Formats: sequence, C-alpha cells, structure tokens
Amino acid sequence: MATEAAPMDEKAKRMRDLLSSFYAPDPSISTSGSSINASFDNINSTSFDADQYMDLMIKKSNLEVLLQRHVQMAAEIKNLDTDLQMLVYENYNKFISATDTIKRMKSNIFGMEGNMDQLLQKIMSVQSKSDGVNTSLFEKREHIEKLHRTRNLLRKVQFIYDLPARLQKCIKSEAYGDAVRFYTGAMPILKVYGDTSFQDCRRASEEAIEIIIKNLQTKLFSDSESIQARAEAAVLLKQLDVPVDSLKAKLLEKLEQSLDGLQIKPEEASTLVEDDDSSNDTESNDQHPAKIHEDAVRGFSEAIRAYREIFPDSEERLFKLARALTAMHFEYMELYIKKRVSAADFLGIFRIVWEDVVLMDEVLPEAALSDLSAEAAQVTLKQFVARMFSHLQQDISDTLLKFDINQKEAVEGELLKVVLEASQKAVLQGTTNIFQDFRQLLDEKTGIFIKMKDLISGWIQKGSQDFFRSLEAQFLVLSGKTSSSNDIEGKSSDKIHAGLILVLAQLSVFIEQKVIPRVTEEIAASFSGGNSQAFENGPAFIPGELCRVFHAASEKLLQHYIDTRTQKVSVLLRKRFKTPNWVKHKEPREVHMYVDMFLHELEEVGKEVKQVLPQGTFRKHKRTDSNGSNTTTSSRSNTLHNDKMARSNSQRARSQLFETHLAKLFKQKVEIFTKVEFTQESVVTTTVKLCLKSLQEYVRLQTFNRSGFQQIQLDIQFLKAPLKEAVEDEAAIDFLLDEVIVAASERCLDVIPLEPPILDKLIQAKLAKSKEHNNNTVSS
Amino acid sequence: MSITNTKTSICFSSSSSLPESVRLAQVTMQGGSSGIGYGLKYQSRCISDVKADTDYTSFLTGTLSLKEENEVHLLRLSSGGSELICEGLFSHPNEIWDLASCPFDQRIFSTVFSTGESFGAAIWQIPELYGQLNSPQLERVASLDAHVGKINCVLWWPSGRCDKLISIDEQNIFLWSLDCSKKSAEVLSKDSAGMLHSLSGGAWDPHDVNAVAATGESSVQFWDLRTMKKVNSIEHAHVRGVDYNPKREHILVTAEDESGIHVWDLRKAKVPVQELPGHTHWTWAVRCNPEYDGLILSAGTDSVVNLWYASATSSDDKTSESPVESTRQRVNPLLNSYTDYEDSVYGLAWSSREPWVFASLSYDGRVIIESVKPFLPRI
Repeated sequence: MATEAAPMDEKAKRMRDLLSSFYAPDPSISTSGSSINASFDNINSTSFDADQYMDLMIKKSNLEVLLQRHVQMAAEIKNLDTDLQMLVYENYNKFISATDTIKRMKSNIFGMEGNMDQLLQKIMSVQSKSDGVNTSLFEKREHIEKLHRTRNLLRKVQFIYDLPARLQKCIKSEAYGDAVRFYTGAMPILKVYGDTSFQDCRRASEEAIEIIIKNLQTKLFSDSESIQARAEAAVLLKQLDVPVDSLKAKLLEKLEQSLDGLQIKPEEASTLVEDDDSSNDTESNDQHPAKIHEDAVRGFSEAIRAYREIFPDSEERLFKLARALTAMHFEYMELYIKKRVSAADFLGIFRIVWEDVVLMDEVLPEAALSDLSAEAAQVTLKQFVARMFSHLQQDISDTLLKFDINQKEAVEGELLKVVLEASQKAVLQGTTNIFQDFRQLLDEKTGIFIKMKDLISGWIQKGSQDFFRSLEAQFLVLSGKTSSSNDIEGKSSDKIHAGLILVLAQLSVFIEQKVIPRVTEEIAASFSGGNSQAFENGPAFIPGELCRVFHAASEKLLQHYIDTRTQKVSVLLRKRFKTPNWVKHKEPREVHMYVDMFLHELEEVGKEVKQVLPQGTFRKHKRTDSNGSNTTTSSRSNTLHNDKMARSNSQRARSQLFETHLAKLFKQKVEIFTKVEFTQESVVTTTVKLCLKSLQEYVRLQTFNRSGFQQIQLDIQFLKAPLKEAVEDEAAIDFLLDEVIVAASERCLDVIPLEPPILDKLIQAKLAKSKEHNNNTVSS
Repeated sequence: MSITNTKTSICFSSSSSLPESVRLAQVTMQGGSSGIGYGLKYQSRCISDVKADTDYTSFLTGTLSLKEENEVHLLRLSSGGSELICEGLFSHPNEIWDLASCPFDQRIFSTVFSTGESFGAAIWQIPELYGQLNSPQLERVASLDAHVGKINCVLWWPSGRCDKLISIDEQNIFLWSLDCSKKSAEVLSKDSAGMLHSLSGGAWDPHDVNAVAATGESSVQFWDLRTMKKVNSIEHAHVRGVDYNPKREHILVTAEDESGIHVWDLRKAKVPVQELPGHTHWTWAVRCNPEYDGLILSAGTDSVVNLWYASATSSDDKTSESPVESTRQRVNPLLNSYTDYEDSVYGLAWSSREPWVFASLSYDGRVIIESVKPFLPRI
C-alpha cells in the first residue's frame, strides 16, 4: 500500500480524509450515513430534511437541471461506494500488522530480570567503598582549611602593617587615589583595633593620611593645577570625610576674590581700549590688557564650570558670583562714563563687558545673566546718553565762563565777539559731535544694541529735548535772571557781566535759528526710529517748542541785558538826585559829572552791542522814513520849546505848564516803549529811552529852586547832542528830554531858565574840558 | 486821538475856571475800554479806597501841586457803576504825597504833605455838614509832627479797628497812638533804620497787627511793633511798592524799578516764590486784591496798569518744581493791560466793597475806575 501511495497521491489523501472522518467523534459525520462532497454543506448537516430539499429542488429547477442533478448524484453515490470498499480493506491490513508486532514483543522480554539484579549488587559495593575513603580524608581536609584562613588573616595584618609605608610610597608617587583607597579599606580594622594592637600602625597611617589631606588641599587651592586634578582632589577629600563645606566656602571666597582681578577699573579702562586699538594696528601678539582680561575672564568661567561640577549643590552661590561680576562690570562702566568718554571708547568697553557676559552666560545659562545685563546695559546706556548731553552743556557753559573770568583783566576790545563766536562754535560743533557719537552707538552690532535700537533713538530724542531745555534754563541762571540755587544767589548781579547776558541773548537766537533746525534734521535722518514709547507722550523731540522756548529766552535775555544796563544808570541817577538838597541848590557852574558817567555807560553799551549784535539793515531807510513823517512835529516842538524858553522869563509858571501840556497834546504821541529788536540800534535806543524816562521820574520826585532847575536844564541841554548821535529815534529822544525839562519846571518853585548864551558857554566849557581830559588820558 | 484831546482839554478848561462843587464823570470811550474817568485839576499821585464806607464804593484822592491850592476829592461810584460822582471837595493846605483812608471811620483819613521845603503828616476829619458848605475846610484831628526828614507814608492797620498808626520817613519808623475824640496823637515808640537805608514806603501786615514791612534802598525790612525792633529783611534792591496778600498769610508782593514784580513767602525769604515781568519801565505800585487770591494789580511809569493772576503758589506746592514750573510758564500770568493813560500811573486802589473794581490815578490827574469782572472767570 505504501508503494502505491506515491503515484496515487490524490487517492491517498482522500483515503486519509475518509478515515479521519470515520474515526472522528463528530456525530454529525457518523450519522450522516453517506459521505458527500464538502460543497454540499446542507446535506451534511444533521437537520437536513431530504423531503424538503426535494420539494425545493423540484419547485425551483426545471427538468433539465433536475436531470443534470440526478446524473451528478448518481456519480457521487458510486464514488462513495468505492471509497467505502477501500476503507474496509485498509483497516483489515492494519489489524494484521498490529498482531504481528505484539507477537514479536512477547518473545523479546524474557531474560531481562536477571541482569537487573546483578546491576544492583555492584552499585551497593561501590557506595560502601567511597564512604570509607571519605572518612579517612576528613581530618586532613579540616586542617587545610584552618591553615588557609590563618593565612588570609595574616595577609590582612600584613597589609595594615604595610599601610604607612605604602601610603608614604603613594605620597611620593602622588598616587593619592590609591592611597585613599588603601586607607579607606583599612579603616574598619583600624577603627576596631586601632587602640590596642595596631596603635603604632594607626598613628603612622593617620599621619600619612594627614599629609595626604594637606597635599590634596593645597592641590585643590593651587591655581596651577588643572581643574580636573583639583576636582579629583576635591572628590578624594570628600571620601576622606574632610569637611568639604568649609573647603567649598573657602574656594568660593577665593573665586570671589578673583573677581577683583577682573574689574575693569575706570583708570585701566581707557588703556584697555587704547591698547586694543594699537594692537590692531601693529598686529603684534603681545599680551595687551584686553587680551589679558579676556583670558582672565575665560579662566574665571572655566573655574565656575569646574566648581559647578565639583559642587553641584552650590549653584546658587555661583549664580550670585556671576551676577556680581556682571553687576560690577556695569557699575564700573557707570563710573567710567562719569568722566568724559567718547562713544568709541564707551563702545569698546561695552563690547568687552558684553563678551564677558556672553562667556558667563554660556557657563551658567540658568543664572539669567543676559536678562540681568540687558537691564543693566539699558540703564548704563541711558545714563551714557544723558551724560553726553550734560557734558556738552558743561562744555558750552565752560566756554562762556572761561572768557568771563578773564573779562576783568582783558582788554574789552573784541572780547565779547570772541566769546560769542567761541560759544556758537561750541554749541554747533558740540551738537554735531554728539550726534556723530550717537550714530556710532546705533551702528554698533553687538547683540544688545540691535535690540535696543529703538530705545536708544528714543533716549536720544528725549535727551536732546531735555538738553535744550536745560541749556535754556542754564542760560537764564548764568544771566542771573533766575536764581535757581542759593549759591547763584550769592553771586550778586554785578558779578555777572552785562556783556555775558548780551552774548547769551544772541546765542539763544543762534540756537533757535541754526542749531535746532540742524538737530531736527539729524534726528529725522538717523534717530527717527524710537517712537515705541512716544505714542504715550507724543514725540519726545519737539523742535517747534524748543524754538519757541529759545525765542522767548532770547527776548528775555535781551530785556534782561537792557534792564541791567539801565539799572546801573538808575543807581547813578538815584545817587545824583538823593544827595543834594535841591531846594537849596547853588547856581549851576558846570555840567554835572553824572552826565559823563551816563554817557560812559551808554558808550559801553554801544561797544558791547557792536560786538555781539548785527547792525539793523534798514537803518538808513528807516531814518529817512521817520524824518519824513516826523519833521513837522519835531521842528514844531523845537520852535515851541525855544519860544517857551524865550518867553518864560516874563510868564507865570502856571500858564507855561498849561502851554506845555497843550503842546504835548498837539504833538504826535511819541511811542516811547517799543519792542526791542536784535539790532545794535534798537538796543541802544531802548536803553537810552528807559534811562531818560528814569531821569524824568527822579526829577518828579524832587522839588527844585531856581538854580536846581537851571542845573537840570543845563545837564539836559548837554546831553542832547551826544544822545541824538547815538540813537536812531531822534524824535523820541527829543520828546523825552523835553519831558524831563517839563517835569523839572513843574516841580520848581521859581522857574527861570538859564539864558541861552550862558547855557552855550557852560556847555562849551564842558566840551573843552572833556576833550582835554581825553587828550590827557591818550597821552598818558 | 481827537477824543483824547477834547477830554484832556476839558480837564484843563475846568481847571482854569474855579472849582464847581460837583463835577460829573465822563465815560471814556477810548480804545473800547469800559473805564470811567474823572479829571482832577492838578497832577496827583495818591488815591485810597474808603474802606469804612459800606454803603457806597468811594475813593479819596488828593492833588500834588507845588504852587496852587491843593484839593482832596471824595469820589463815589454811582450805584449803577456807570458814573463817578464827586461827593466832596476839600481844600488842603499843601501838596499831597500820600493819602490813606481810615479803615474804620469813613470821615477820617491821613495825608503826607510837603511845603516844597519840608514835609509833614496829619490826620484829617471830613466836616459833618460839608454838603451845605461851598468849600468846606477839613478839620485837622492830629499832626504827626515828630518827623525831621522826608515823610513817605502813613499806614493804618487794614484789617479792623486799631487805634495805632505808623508813619515812615526816610530813616525812622514811628508808632503812634491816635485818639480821635481827644484829637491827639502820641508817639508810642520809634526805631531808626539807619542812615544807609533810606526808607521809601511800607505796608502793615493785615494778618498780624505787630508786623510791618518797610521798603528801603536795598532791602525790604520787617519790624515787630511790640519790641520795635527789626526782625527780618529781604535783600532785594530798588523796591518801590509793597503789599501784603490779604487772603494768604506770609505772602508779600513787591514792585521794583527794573526787575518787575516778585511774590515772596516770608517764611523762605531768600528766593521769590514767583516772578512777574512787571512793566516796560518802573513798576511803581502793586496791590493785591482783597477778595480774589492771586489777583494782583500793578501800575507803572510806562503809563500802563497791568492785571496779573499769580496762580496760587505757596511754598507747599513748590516741591514738585519742574513740571509745575513748565506749565506755569506756559500760562501767561498777565490777564490784561489797561493802556488808557497819558502819563505815569502812581495811584492804585482796589475797592474793598466791590472787590472787582479798582481805581487808578495817573500823574496828569486822571482817575480811572475799571472793573475786572470780565477776567474773573479766568482765574
């Protein structure tokens, strides 16, 4: 059958299937009665109802199909028949071979029992013999084991005795690691028996260990050792139970001390930067300070890195150190910029500091150094900007005051002009320079600067606004117009030279017209960015407002100049009118000397004005113009005046008063108090007008006798010519001089004017005398 | 122009004819000004509010004429405020340099006068039946004749009834006790300011009956009347006028020749609290309003009266200096300029009855009454 199986594979498979289904415990298969193809599942199922199936079949199918079905079924049944036959045959075959095998087994099993008994006996004898050997060897084995233990103990003892020597050897070879390992190994024994058997040994080894500890500590502290070595030393010390905390504290202290070495001291800072520059030029590899500094900081950061590894629990402390370093840097930078520093230098220092910060930040990213330093940098930068401006202001006022100090010794000559020009230059140059410097700040590429660009622009705008405002305030203080502090108060007004006030006035005009537009341009060109905070308060730099401020200041200062000048004259006049008893005045003999002083003052004003202020461009034109409109009035007033003088001898004072009043009424009202302009003539005219008005007021306060009145008449007559020469507005001067005479006549008990010839004579005498005086001074 | 002419010529024509007992005021139309004018015959310097008159707003003024007969005019503002009526006209023996009405008796006033060579001061009483007399004589209550030099002013205590008077001459300050019923005045005490300080005027502190300020050549000096000793001084030159702020203690306003007007806090007398530009020429007189704090009137020799509002800055709010100052500078303290004058204005007085009304007097003898009502809302 086996030989048949190979060619008849298909058949064999089917056979096996059939067999298995036959033996299978599945009742469905056993009860089905006939084995059918797998395709007909419903036939194989237990609930298969043949009749129903038939009915269904007949109902559903036509004859042809049914016939086909019939043929198919017949073939299947035939197939099943042959299969069954084959199964029976095969089963039979198997039975036969099984009985054959059983027969053979039965014959082989005889004679086995005897062999087994023999084996048992032999095993028993082997066991008894081995027991004998065991007992005979037991004692020896015990002995050997004991010996072995002793030997181990001895070796340990030997180790401990050798420990000092070994440690010494280790110290010599600096193998501290081994030494510590040995020592810690021996430690338990030494602890237990140290007081008894191994006293010496212990002492010796402890001594050695002490040396080791000492060595390790020095190693730890020595800067020459590598960080690795020091870290190891620290670890060893920790193993030796040396109190590491105190060591750590000491170390950190040392680190702190090393901070001092890293300071950029203000005095060194400049060299730092300078050397940096020079080395760039020469390309030399010399160790210039900047390099040294960089190395130092690098070392410092390395140390911090190492310590961080060694003492992971002391991070906080390190953070603090790092922060202290940056804080210190910025502190020193602030100190540094207290002195005058150019923007380039400042940037140099800033760059170095920033590099340091970056280095530290790499080592200790958690310390938030960049935030801290960004903040500090903002503050510093802001201060720097503010300081630049204050330096500039200082410069300007220095320029102004430098000359003022020399004022007293120096020849009046062109000094005011020099001061004015110098200060104008200082302002213009200063602002240009400062903006150049600021541009450098903006161009700087260091990280923080880029971030703060807007802020810087804002600061600069605000700074320039504040600068001009405070400059204006300072001008006013310098001029003595406002007394800001008590120490200015201490300086009395006579210490502030009037010329300086004039210079300040003109300087304000210059700033208004030249400097502010220029600054506005600069800001618009380079610093317009920083409007981030500007939305709250409007733009920080408002040129319009500044122009207004300076315009007002210039007017105020000019007015102040005139005031100080007239004040001087006022004092003069006050003394003149206070001292004599006018009611008992003696006959006039000569023109009083206060007239000279008055003219001298005017002359001084003229000189100062000429140096500082521009000439009025329309002078000629104006003059003719005013002549054109005023000729009639002035001539009339003159004739009237002369007329009055001629007649007054014979007339009562009252009618004269009436007449002068009438004259005044019909005369065109002369504008005495006109607005001051920034021209030489305008200032002089205003001064004279104010002085004459003061003169009139002083006269009104007195009561004169005839001689007193004549004295006034004489003085005024003398003043007429030089004043008209000095002053633009002749009509007004005429009017005011007349007013003085009128006032005097009103206040006179007995009005009899001097005769014109006598008047003339006295005036001529005065003129001759003053000429002579002049000659004398020139010759001397 | 033409209006000015006619107006002033009226003044002079009336001066040529002899005094009528009542002269009507003219309402000046010049320059759109609302001022009410009144012409005195001669030049004059001083005008005073009659504080004791509670029924009418009235002023006293006197002329300054060396050679003519001088007059004292009692002026009353009509109830409508549109007319200035001369209520009384009294002849005064000499030219009047200073005049002050008694704050508690409307009929009493003081004058400082000069004969040309010498000065004198006296207390006068307006006669009771003056309405019936043509040119009634003033009754002289007392003469303050202890002075030697040039007398500058006589002061009454502005705040109430006080039987004491102060007179200041160039070197001395006198405290008088006045007894109107007995018609006598006695010197209670005096102190000399020293030869170097020639005094020019003064003011009596309305808050403290014992404090008096006097202006000198180079400083303002303060006396304590109890001890009659100088207690304090502000070193500030050429002060011409001085007035205490009646609404605020320790505040003093001064007017100077060249440097304008300064407001001082007497507790910190080193630096002025505030500075006002003053006038183009000298600032002659300065008066604080009796009712509206910070309202200051100043008169100058540039023929202008200025109305200021010195925003209430005491030392307390001076702490926040810089921002306040910048805002303060922006607000113009000058409320108005009254330019309707032909000559220097020396006389200036607020009415205490109607505190928005003031009287001003220019040297040519023109009294002008103005109301500051339009400017009150601005303060």
